[in-house]
Amino acid sequence: MILRLRILAWPLAVLAGLAMAATLSGRQVAGPASSAQPAPQISPVTFNRDIAPIIYHSCASCHRPGEAGPFSLLTYSDVKKHARQIAEVTQARTMPPWLPEPQELKFADEMRLPDAQIALIQKWVEQGAVEGNPADLAPLPKFTEGWRLGEPDLILKVEKPLVLPPQGTDTYWNFIFHVPIEKTSWVKAVEIRPGDKRYVHHANILVDREGLTRRRESEPGAGFGGMEIRIESEVFDPDSHLLFWKPGTVPYVEPEGMALRLDKGTDLVLNTHLQPSGKPEIIQPSIGLYFTPHPATKLPMLLQLENDVKLDIPPGQKNFVVTDEFTLPVSVALLAIYPHAHYLGKDIQAFATLPDGTRRTLIHIPGWNLNWQAVYRYEEPVSLPQGTVVSLRYVYDNSEENALNPNHPPARVRGGNRSSDEMCHLWLQVLPVDYDIARGDPRMVLQEALARHNVGKNPGDFEAHYNLAAMLQARGKLDDALGEYTAALRLRPDDATANNGMGAALLAAEQPDKATPYLLAALKSRPDYFDAHYNLGYALISQNDFEGAAMQFRLALQVHPEDAKAEANLGSALAEMGRFAEAKTHLERALQIDPSLSWARDNLEELNHRRN
Amino acid sequence: MVPQGALRRRPRSSPSLTLRLCVPVLLCILGVTGYAQRGAEDLEGRQADPRAVAGGKIVALVFVRTDCPISNRYAPTIQRLSAQYADKAQFWLVFPDKDETPASIKKYLRDYGYKLPALRDPRHALVKLSLAHVTPEVAVFSAGGQLTYHGRIDNWYESFGHARPAPTTHDLDDALRATLVGKAVAQNDVRGVGCYISDLE
Repeated sequence: MILRLRILAWPLAVLAGLAMAATLSGRQVAGPASSAQPAPQISPVTFNRDIAPIIYHSCASCHRPGEAGPFSLLTYSDVKKHARQIAEVTQARTMPPWLPEPQELKFADEMRLPDAQIALIQKWVEQGAVEGNPADLAPLPKFTEGWRLGEPDLILKVEKPLVLPPQGTDTYWNFIFHVPIEKTSWVKAVEIRPGDKRYVHHANILVDREGLTRRRESEPGAGFGGMEIRIESEVFDPDSHLLFWKPGTVPYVEPEGMALRLDKGTDLVLNTHLQPSGKPEIIQPSIGLYFTPHPATKLPMLLQLENDVKLDIPPGQKNFVVTDEFTLPVSVALLAIYPHAHYLGKDIQAFATLPDGTRRTLIHIPGWNLNWQAVYRYEEPVSLPQGTVVSLRYVYDNSEENALNPNHPPARVRGGNRSSDEMCHLWLQVLPVDYDIARGDPRMVLQEALARHNVGKNPGDFEAHYNLAAMLQARGKLDDALGEYTAALRLRPDDATANNGMGAALLAAEQPDKATPYLLAALKSRPDYFDAHYNLGYALISQNDFEGAAMQFRLALQVHPEDAKAEANLGSALAEMGRFAEAKTHLERALQIDPSLSWARDNLEELNHRRN
Repeated sequence: MVPQGALRRRPRSSPSLTLRLCVPVLLCILGVTGYAQRGAEDLEGRQADPRAVAGGKIVALVFVRTDCPISNRYAPTIQRLSAQYADKAQFWLVFPDKDETPASIKKYLRDYGYKLPALRDPRHALVKLSLAHVTPEVAVFSAGGQLTYHGRIDNWYESFGHARPAPTTHDLDDALRATLVGKAVAQNDVRGVGCYISDLE
């Protein structure tokens, strides 16, 4: 029998590129003829010759009808009507939205305008925004309409759209999508269409395999509010991808072996950041899924560095620094990075110090802006050998000078989930390389090291104790695991997951009588908790309480009717009670669901043998 | 009343912007028919004079564009202030983009739930009289026709892409209150953040 392990992690969602230029249908837009040098004095900068190529390449994919830009920039007239504004926002580097400084490690799909292009736009506006010779104007790029990757294999659409009020502060809303699939499927690409792109600042997909988030809806399909949500996930779920959308994002097909698993009953939760527009807006997101027959073979992992416990920022403090350092226990290839802070975040940096002492900047955002947060994918995977120290350094501004400060006048701000709280998070999507499988799944080595690191930093970190316990349990260190579960339960005595974990560890340690009270406590907190019913059923079987066990497996099956193991265990419990006919039905059904369940087959044969 | 010479000009940070330094005094003292003839139109295409129907109220001209996301986001604020001062101040929405048709403006008013009269200002007559630079900005005129305030509604926007969770100044509200009691507006020229009207010339 399998005892289920769960890992608690900040939910995360998958790597979508931020490619803008990729929509330009293969036609490489040449940089302006004069991009290296400002145009010579004698010939004025013209839209047709000099400016249109910049606009078409770097602005028009969003600034066109149906996209995120609030107005179109497709013609001379469009651009002329916003000329000074364009000069100002490009000069300030507000547009195109690209926060990181240039660095040695290049990001894919960088949207940063070269200095020379910014200077050229300035000059064009100063000279009166001249149109120029129509013959100089290159044709408009051909943009892909509709789904960027073609018609998806499966389209999920929110049934009840959200009506975004015309005014008020930004809204954080979660839409729940049920995935109507009958068997486990592998997804190679996810395209997020967030509804009206003009009002959605960003969106993240989280995978909910247990239907846990639905409990937060006032009625089915209504969705629920909240900026940061946590979803309990299986180990390394959702297959360690970051599913992210922001204006300009173009969906990204994962390389072979990096598919995302979806099971029957899985929900996808779209966490959105919405900005009121001045009038009521209907927000009705949809998600397109593209399947692959190839299951995941690679073992990527999301490493989440954080130091929220250090966030206690006094009012007026202009430069509040939080750091963290984590030493990699295995060699990895770094694929992508996703820094996250709220409105006080000012200067965000992450760097790696290699074992040979080389220091490499992983990302530096000197002007953090939550509204433009993004997942950044590296152009090439970054090699970080075992022993590399990954460091983060975030600076926060809680003074009146920070216009985005949620408090006026400034107030003490601590770490937390609300947008008025602060965060210090950094996700790294890594692929372990050159590992010795004898040391175990490298992701578990990483997870255990990270959990240990977090416990050391903050003994009050429930998730860290829990995750450490789960990792210790997974590699058979039951005594140590029990110690960590105990520490986690001291922090949250009623937590269903931790109680279930404790129960499961005691079962593994062959102490079913001790496990029972924890499993009951888990079920008291969460009555429809499949794992706890299943584990309690197992505990009761071990104590020869077959009737009680059968009831627990039936309750488990009410939650997951298609679970072959619960079905088989129900059959086995009934067999122990001598109810052979019923037992046979359940064992046969279990084998129908999962013909590879060999112990169920053995039990069925044994049953037939005994009946004869 | 503030003598017009006392209108304060803020130094401007962006070198790309042309600085209009002097304020022509005469333009700011409006005759009753002074600016109607300069080309503002109502949505039926008739010459319109915001003062003519003000009935002794003070006048607030609010410059907006249908395609300016910042002035769009201000719609509820503009509605709220105009309702709050309905008895004492006549609000007008002024659309300075000559390409915005009466039909597109009418649709816009419906979409945003505006209950304010609207004017087109294709030749920027009202823009010039009001010293408006961006949408949204507001000009407040006393019942005597004098420009008492021009500039932002409040400080919600710090710059493009940087909006406060809520404004911490209420410039238009302050200006209306002062103008109603005949007091000088303390800060009578505060540049707004928004879409440049000069881009429409």
